[in-house]
Amino acid sequence: MAAQVVREAATMAGVSRPDIDAVVVAHPGDHTRQGYFHTFLCSSLGIAAKGNVIQVLGNGMTGGHAFDQAVQLIESGRAECVLAVGVHFESGIPTAQHLDYSIRLTGDVDFQSIFGPVPISWYAMDAHRYMFEYDVPRDTTAVVAVKNREHARFNPLAQFRDPLTLDAVLSARPIVEPLGLFEVPARSDGAVALIVSTEARAKLTGQPYARIRGRGFDHEGIHQIADVPTSALDYSALTRAAHRALTTAGTELADISTFQLYAPCTIVEILATEALGLFARGSGAAAAANDATSIGGRYPVNTCGGCLSRGHPPEVSPLYDVVEACSQILGRAERRQVEGARLAMCVSELGKYNAALVHILEAHS
Amino acid sequence: MIDVPLPTIRHNGPRPFPPRVSRFTRPFWTALEQGFLTAPKCQACGRLRFPPRPLCPACWSEDHVWIVLRPHGRLYSFTRIHVAPRALDGDLPYAIGIVDLDDGVRLLCRLVNQATFADIGREVETVVLQYDDGPLFAARLI
Ligand SMILES: [Zn+2]
Repeated sequence: MAAQVVREAATMAGVSRPDIDAVVVAHPGDHTRQGYFHTFLCSSLGIAAKGNVIQVLGNGMTGGHAFDQAVQLIESGRAECVLAVGVHFESGIPTAQHLDYSIRLTGDVDFQSIFGPVPISWYAMDAHRYMFEYDVPRDTTAVVAVKNREHARFNPLAQFRDPLTLDAVLSARPIVEPLGLFEVPARSDGAVALIVSTEARAKLTGQPYARIRGRGFDHEGIHQIADVPTSALDYSALTRAAHRALTTAGTELADISTFQLYAPCTIVEILATEALGLFARGSGAAAAANDATSIGGRYPVNTCGGCLSRGHPPEVSPLYDVVEACSQILGRAERRQVEGARLAMCVSELGKYNAALVHILEAHS
Repeated sequence: MIDVPLPTIRHNGPRPFPPRVSRFTRPFWTALEQGFLTAPKCQACGRLRFPPRPLCPACWSEDHVWIVLRPHGRLYSFTRIHVAPRALDGDLPYAIGIVDLDDGVRLLCRLVNQATFADIGREVETVVLQYDDGPLFAARLI
């Protein structure tokens, strides 16, 4: 599957096999039987590279790092045409077995993991606190699941495309309270390949292309939760990373046409929109309920359906987000198209938004 | 000085996902066995380290003394988990919470109550769960 998406991406970009001079692979996780997947993939594809061949890993940011490393290889002049690829297959492993591994990731193994905090349980606690602090009922936060499903209905790549009602979201079985089945990500498989090249090379193709205009990163120095009482809801790493990205892009939030946010749960999308400054603290859920984050709204968020409906193969999700951002700004998003989209923001995160990586993409045609 | 041990709740069987005990963390687990929840306090800058760490994240000093944490705190948030790793399957569903202790420490632990949304922000106290193979700490609503 990885080899097929690579061939498709190269064809779309007008790039042939010998043109690729570096390969960055999002680490496929512990489910993939083949180890050292990056060199295995190069061998399968017959790619010999002078720039670099690496596999990157960074929690939910893994796919974001793959894209970011490809961009940095171009910026540094070490490569002219980089393949960034991610592949993730987890559905072959039962959920409980998958959690044996992931419980060791999102907690201190000796003082937190011992109590069984599965990764999404941290977001569930954010959801409860948000409802408590801002007096927001669960059905207002749950609207995000319905909104994302509406977007996914018109995305041929999406895992879930059947209509979803608010009643169905609210009455689904609980997974990590207060979040039910449709407010947390399903288990997903997927693969994405991107070609990142110098602008000169992109121009040669004569095709429209997306330019990376801004980039920002921030890590707050915390693993999941702070060790002292403080707000767990402010996702301040995103605030700072987005500010850096907007500054390097020389643009403002109001000029961004569409946002692709790494948001495995409904509450995460809400808190991320607030941290970005799209909405005041405590009002993100109500804004989503009023269609402000829908296609056609003031700030369209996750036009592909997001982690909840497009699907969430964690190592690959941020790469899907770049695909969607490009589709939007190049006017190829068909029935999900945000009218006149020129600038798109992509955000990936790690931990509990303890870090954020932000890219701003611009259309060039 | 706190010399009254925490309430202990007895559990049959071993801890489902036991912690490792290192030379550094041994005093923590030994004290917990005796009913005291402790944390290393930095001798250089006075900051408490929780989870316990050998180096102070604020000043990188190793100097510390183990102090007993006061049991009283508040429930910052909680969740009840319905899908678990294999080791914790027998506990389903189980509640965990973020607890802010009066001593200025935030920790994650099990909640022994059937907490509800209305319990967020309420007072809790720490307790010891005594299993066959050792202790865990937990919180319960007061
Ligand atoms: Zn110190």
